[in-house]
Amino acid sequence: MKKIEINPITRLEGHGKIAIFLNDDGNVDEAFFQVVELRGYENFLQGMPIEEVPRTVSTICGVCRGVHFTSAMKASDQIYGVEPTPVAKKLRELFFNAHYVEDHAVVLYALGLPDFVVGPEAPAAERNLVGLVKAVGAEIGRDVLTKRASAVKIFEMLGGKPIHPVAAVPGGWSKKITEAERQQLIAWSKDLVELGKLTINVFDKIVLQNPKYMELVTGDMYKVTTNYMGTVNEKGQIAYYDGIQKVVDPKGKEIASFTGKEYLDVISERVVPWSYLKVPYLKQMGWKGIVEGAGTSLYSVGPLARFNVGNGMDTPLAQEAYEQFMDTFASRPVHYVQAYHWARAIELLNAAEKCFQLAQDPELTDPNTRAELGKVTGEGVGITEAPRGTLIHHYKTDDKGIVTNANLIVATTHNKGPINIAVRKAAKHFIKDGKVDDGILNYIEMGFRPYDLCLACATHAVGQAQTPLSIDVFDSQGALHKTLNNF
Amino acid sequence: MHTETLVLGLGNPLLQDDRVGIRAVELLREQLIPVPTEVLFTVGFEVVDKVMGRERVIIVDASTTGNVPGTITEVSVEDIFATHTLRNSHAMTLGTTLKTGYTLFPDRMPKDIKIMLIEADDIDHFSDRCTPDVEQAVHDVVRRIIGYIA
Repeated sequence: MKKIEINPITRLEGHGKIAIFLNDDGNVDEAFFQVVELRGYENFLQGMPIEEVPRTVSTICGVCRGVHFTSAMKASDQIYGVEPTPVAKKLRELFFNAHYVEDHAVVLYALGLPDFVVGPEAPAAERNLVGLVKAVGAEIGRDVLTKRASAVKIFEMLGGKPIHPVAAVPGGWSKKITEAERQQLIAWSKDLVELGKLTINVFDKIVLQNPKYMELVTGDMYKVTTNYMGTVNEKGQIAYYDGIQKVVDPKGKEIASFTGKEYLDVISERVVPWSYLKVPYLKQMGWKGIVEGAGTSLYSVGPLARFNVGNGMDTPLAQEAYEQFMDTFASRPVHYVQAYHWARAIELLNAAEKCFQLAQDPELTDPNTRAELGKVTGEGVGITEAPRGTLIHHYKTDDKGIVTNANLIVATTHNKGPINIAVRKAAKHFIKDGKVDDGILNYIEMGFRPYDLCLACATHAVGQAQTPLSIDVFDSQGALHKTLNNF
Repeated sequence: MHTETLVLGLGNPLLQDDRVGIRAVELLREQLIPVPTEVLFTVGFEVVDKVMGRERVIIVDASTTGNVPGTITEVSVEDIFATHTLRNSHAMTLGTTLKTGYTLFPDRMPKDIKIMLIEADDIDHFSDRCTPDVEQAVHDVVRRIIGYIA
């Protein structure tokens, strides 16, 4: 048996690798995606006052800083037995949706679109953000970066401090908004809506109108059939900041819903011998292994999962785009992982429209941004829909609100099983007769790139960040036969 | 006040030597050096947002290039620009974001940009202090910065 090993990531919380095993005919027998997640923060947080936790967990990730901040803040509300005031909730939602816009924009333009714009078989030296800019033109690139900066400005104004938010307080939000600031928020939000429309147009021109790329979006090589988890509002529409968590099976039938601590009744984790990271699965189904299709206990989270769980969007332009999305596929749920990128583009527009709606609300300047604290309950579960999927922060404290236990479940952990299947299917489709090259390597990577793995974020030292990738090909005797590098 | 120069420190403040950029800014502020400073816990496009419109920028960040811990290296944008395809959006590099900034906004990016890297010893453990050799190197970098802006 030949073994092909892709060693992509050697960074702090995620040194992982992909190992692909070939049979004697040179075709793929099995593939594993292995990763080590950083668990250090869960220990580090113990002994800390819960009201300090949001500011601390925002350093878990330079990219996902706002979502960890928000989940921890929501948990702190419960620990202090308090509901945020109406204006505090609106300010939090505006902050969270602005974060969505800037995050989705980066993922789409830096990670997802280069495969399609520059081409999946283009040299790696061109298949990146700079290559994308050259392909679509500097004018669009400037427009995207300039408008995206408006999302960062909203995040900064509301967060109370540049880049790294500090405004979280149990039951409220410490940053009050003046009328002049609200007018500025409206102006910035208009930029975001324009960015959303531009992104839908770019995706339409580049991907949807290109039959070859649509084959990738709707092709079985990137089809992963699982259950789906996401958050919906009271109307069943996709929600990000708050709502009810819902699970549908591979046919789209609702099989579970939960809030807060009830996640423990729905999700279980399985230790697998080939990875340090446990694989989550649906408790009610029992562990069925890394398998897809009817009866699988694996579930996916993230933009596509939310599309499959929700019944639509809560803003007009995004709803229009959602309907076009669903009409494109023969049936729902949609199981094609390349559709994650399309769903991400539509969510960007949805979050932008929400920002605009919230900024127009005169109540935003209400100074009553904090509720009186209740009695310390000793436990809180903050669940949000992070851009990459459902994010759970679960804390226990003593009677003074000092953290005694922390459990964080991030999107990449939920998606562990589906990512394995995506890699395995892409490898089986593209590797034939033992032949692998750089183009095939990229097609395999395209299997997991739509999930936007959160593996490498707590540090970013120069020299670490390039995530070099190599494939080692071993012959049937286990000896190294060939090595391919993309650096 | 050297308003035309910005000192930007990068790093995670909670992870030992990864915090060298943050530490450099702390020292400049403690010594009341009259120069605008910023810190970022990320190397995403926020870096471009911060440096755009400045004439001159000094960036301090950690490196893990195999040098002796505490080694100070000054590099250009081209030196640290890598053309790899991204595995995930978290793998964005300082070189990529700066290069993108210069590609899209050549007239608004700093004409003079100095990137100072300090080789880290330990970026795996939680601490709000750098290891001794690296801490010493941060002091050396701060002296150099003061010399540059004098």
